[in-house]
Amino acid sequence: MADAKHAESLMDRVWKFFTSLKLAIFVIIFLAIASIIGTVIEQNQPLEKYRQIYTDGTIRLFEKLSLFDMYHSWWFLLLLVLFTVNLICCTVDRLPRVVRIVRNPKTTLDENLEKSLGFVDRWKKKGELAALAETYRAAMGGAFARPRVTENSGTFHLYAEKGVASRFGVYVTHISIIIIFLGAIVGNVLGFKGYANIVEGESVRRIPTRGGTNHVDLGFSVRCNKFWVEYYPNGQPKEYASDLSVIENGREVLRKTIEVNDPLQYKGVWFYQASYGPAGASTVTVTVSNPDGGQRETISLSPGRHAEISGYGKISAVDYRPDFQGLGPALLVVLEKPGTQPAQFWLLKAFPEFDRQRKDTRYLSFAGLNEIFFTGLQVARDPGVNIVWLGCALMVIGIIIAFFLSHQRLWIRLSRGGDGRVEVVLAGSTNKNRLAFEKKFEKIQGDMKAVKP
Amino acid sequence: MLNVRLFDLTTLLFGVASVNYVAALYGKKETIARIGTWVCIAAAIVSTAAIGVRWAESYKMGIGRIPVTNLYESLVFFAWSVNLFYLAVEWKYKSRTFGAFVMPIAFGTMLFALTNESSIQPLVPALQSYWLHAHVITCFVGYAGFAVSAGVAVMFLMKAKREERKVTGGVVGRFPSTKVLDDLVYKAIVWGFPFLTAGIITGAAWANYAWGTYWSWDPKETWSLIVWLVYAAFLHARVTRGWHGRRAAILSIIGFLATIFCYLGVNLVLSGLHSYGGA
Ligand code: HEM
Repeated sequence: MADAKHAESLMDRVWKFFTSLKLAIFVIIFLAIASIIGTVIEQNQPLEKYRQIYTDGTIRLFEKLSLFDMYHSWWFLLLLVLFTVNLICCTVDRLPRVVRIVRNPKTTLDENLEKSLGFVDRWKKKGELAALAETYRAAMGGAFARPRVTENSGTFHLYAEKGVASRFGVYVTHISIIIIFLGAIVGNVLGFKGYANIVEGESVRRIPTRGGTNHVDLGFSVRCNKFWVEYYPNGQPKEYASDLSVIENGREVLRKTIEVNDPLQYKGVWFYQASYGPAGASTVTVTVSNPDGGQRETISLSPGRHAEISGYGKISAVDYRPDFQGLGPALLVVLEKPGTQPAQFWLLKAFPEFDRQRKDTRYLSFAGLNEIFFTGLQVARDPGVNIVWLGCALMVIGIIIAFFLSHQRLWIRLSRGGDGRVEVVLAGSTNKNRLAFEKKFEKIQGDMKAVKP
Repeated sequence: MLNVRLFDLTTLLFGVASVNYVAALYGKKETIARIGTWVCIAAAIVSTAAIGVRWAESYKMGIGRIPVTNLYESLVFFAWSVNLFYLAVEWKYKSRTFGAFVMPIAFGTMLFALTNESSIQPLVPALQSYWLHAHVITCFVGYAGFAVSAGVAVMFLMKAKREERKVTGGVVGRFPSTKVLDDLVYKAIVWGFPFLTAGIITGAAWANYAWGTYWSWDPKETWSLIVWLVYAAFLHARVTRGWHGRRAAILSIIGFLATIFCYLGVNLVLSGLHSYGGA
């Protein structure tokens, strides 16, 4: 028997521990401190980078404590679990009590209750008890909320309340946190995050996930038809975009141009424009013209290769400037004609006739750069994300309810006094925002005292 | 640019208002404080106009965006929110003594803004999103609430100390009662907290829409969470452990210091995705 009792009290103590607010505040503050550490020690950097900052001993210590990937470490997760368990226990412990209070309000004002309330006033009125009760019922409805009336051996009790929802705001908020965690877990278990670099004209079907060790087969493929960048006048990128096609069973099923902040979605998989870069070598186009205006030839040059212009010489492109001394895009070419020294000169895109000045049998013009890009896409499937948004919405709603509503209660008791007059007792309570209620109560006090039978 | 001139004027007005409120406190002249109120109202009008003008000017430059996207603009918006928040408090509580503690925060913010690049810069693609507007606005309204709370918390501590020593009169004697101050420390947080919550959520929504992750433990994100946790601790300590008065005031000040770090420190000290870094 003693054992059972002991066990029970141990259970009690464990329960107390997990329902205590001390634990909640401790965990919240500890989470905050841990998060600070995570922002001071840069997370998930390559080892070389840490070597530049810390000594080997420190690195070993930090690795043991998982401080380089802290937010995924066992102890941080444990902290989150503790937080969640605490929150759930607290809710289980308190919510039923609140429901009881709300469902069985104390509709009669007895002596004990009266003593426990912060707002009480009493006065006497001439008149008939039942008639006065009716008058006050109407007045209370006007000044506050419609009361319930109970008669108990010659005493009338009026009770009215407002803002019951306020009692539940806290629980909505707390449950919303659990819903958000749930959404995060669903996303982590059932979803994936990856990336894909697609060269213009090519397509992908298997996506490497973050970390790079695994792949996800999408079941369809995505082709980048075209990629382009727009610039501000100062040369900063203004917008970059990819024209993407989704191809399933050999057919194009969806086509969309995505930009940063405007992703594409197909079958729950989202493609976000994340980055871009040059895909290997770009080519340049040069036209070769006859000064008499006669024949014309267009050639395409890749870096490191030269092209033969029949009956003239060999040409190669060696440098490109997007803006050459304020004159716009320019190309540096080397021309080798049989029997002469190689000549090197600039061609300006804005001045196609510029090369006539060499007064040779041909002149060259720079027609443009054909850049080939790859588009960098983040690819993600997160079936938990809507659960997270649901939680977020509930959180905001819950906080607003918790903060801006208050559960206000008002009682009036009418009883026959010894001197034949009716004794009126007015009492009120609020679960928060006393200062505001104080003003309200004063006003109601005035209204009630002024009531004419 | 006209908008910058208007912001300079706003700075001047905030300065005048701050001086007025402080002078009124020491000189015990309600008239001076009343002038302070009118200066604050003027500053509200001028700064609102300045934000509008800057917005219009950005369209004229072909950039076209709401002015809340770099350090200068966010500082200005923060000061704007503090000013409006303050006016609401003054009106509600019918006391101008708060002004001496709150308006200097707005003034200091504007002075700091002056040291930053004020021209309208084009936006990198990642920042071109409606979520950005919702995110910045909610965050900074939240920060403004915390600023007001911290300012009042300082008043509370001064007043509480005086009362402990049973000193009456003087400048502090003109403060509202500790009960009112304590209540306001809490109330301002009660206003700030839902906005910060909404700010973090809109930030997450935006990150999700731009990059496909709503949370990536980037330092700025993490610090906003830290600030949020500090105020959550404040709220719980208050409701359930009865932390009123002194301890609540100190926690409010700690919360605001964390807010400032989240806002400026992260960019100056730590690195991350947010745009204010280069400024
Ligand atoms: C950081 C996450 C949390 C948030 C945002 C949060 C939010 C809130 C809010 C807004 C209130 C109402 C405060 C007020 O009325 O002034 C509250 C009260 C409360 N919270 Fe939390 N909470 C969190 C975590 C927790 C945890 C982990 C527990 C675990 C025990 C907990 C237990 C309570 C309790 C017992 C109350 C008081 C309820 C009452 O008024 O009777 N909270 N919380």
